[in-house]
Amino acid sequence: MTLFGAMNTAGSGLVLQRKWLDAVSDNIANINTVRSTSGNAFQARYVVAQANDYGNAAGVQVAGIEYGDAAGRVVYQPDHPLADADGNVRMPDIDLSDQMTQLIMAQRGYQANLAVVERAQAAYQQAIGLGR
Amino acid sequence: MVIPPISPLASLPTAGVAAAPAAADPAAFGNVLAQGMEKLQSLHRTSDSMAVQAVTGQLSDIHDYTIAANEAAVATQLTVAVRNKAVEAFTEIMRMPM
Repeated sequence: MTLFGAMNTAGSGLVLQRKWLDAVSDNIANINTVRSTSGNAFQARYVVAQANDYGNAAGVQVAGIEYGDAAGRVVYQPDHPLADADGNVRMPDIDLSDQMTQLIMAQRGYQANLAVVERAQAAYQQAIGLGR
Repeated sequence: MVIPPISPLASLPTAGVAAAPAAADPAAFGNVLAQGMEKLQSLHRTSDSMAVQAVTGQLSDIHDYTIAANEAAVATQLTVAVRNKAVEAFTEIMRMPM
């Protein structure tokens, strides 16, 4: 840990929360993406977090992206241009309320990491003012 | 008439501590200050390059820039505080009655 260790650690957390926000917004944007039943449905994106080893470079990093169910939900929409002979299309298997919950969690996580940055800065400034 | 030159006072003790070469000692205050200045300069350089990236739309994370700017600001405050203390100590010594 070097000077500004807390700030940089919180910065890595901010990166992760931002990517989580990106993934959730991608899922919400594609919640009505319709594909034909011959192909895969839009797969929800899930960010996988991984802790960095403490002492080396503390904080968190994105280990990878996991994808949701490719089968999705088969919905009967015979008037849709992509509908097959039976009148079915494939919708992504994304729950909007679940995505909204994740959105709130990602937003709160981002805010919490920003609060760490602010507190760390205030602490450093108070340390500088020592003996003034 | 020959005026003999004034011979130097050989017995006068040299100011041993003050005359020691400061540049060779890595722990000397001047070197510590110079290292701190270099670190401060690199922090400011990072902050400036991120500001350029933000303006040109190449910055993917807003907080990267704000954190870098914060770090540079706090480091500057620290450097100024150290300098002020050093100047304060110097003036204190200068005020010493002889």
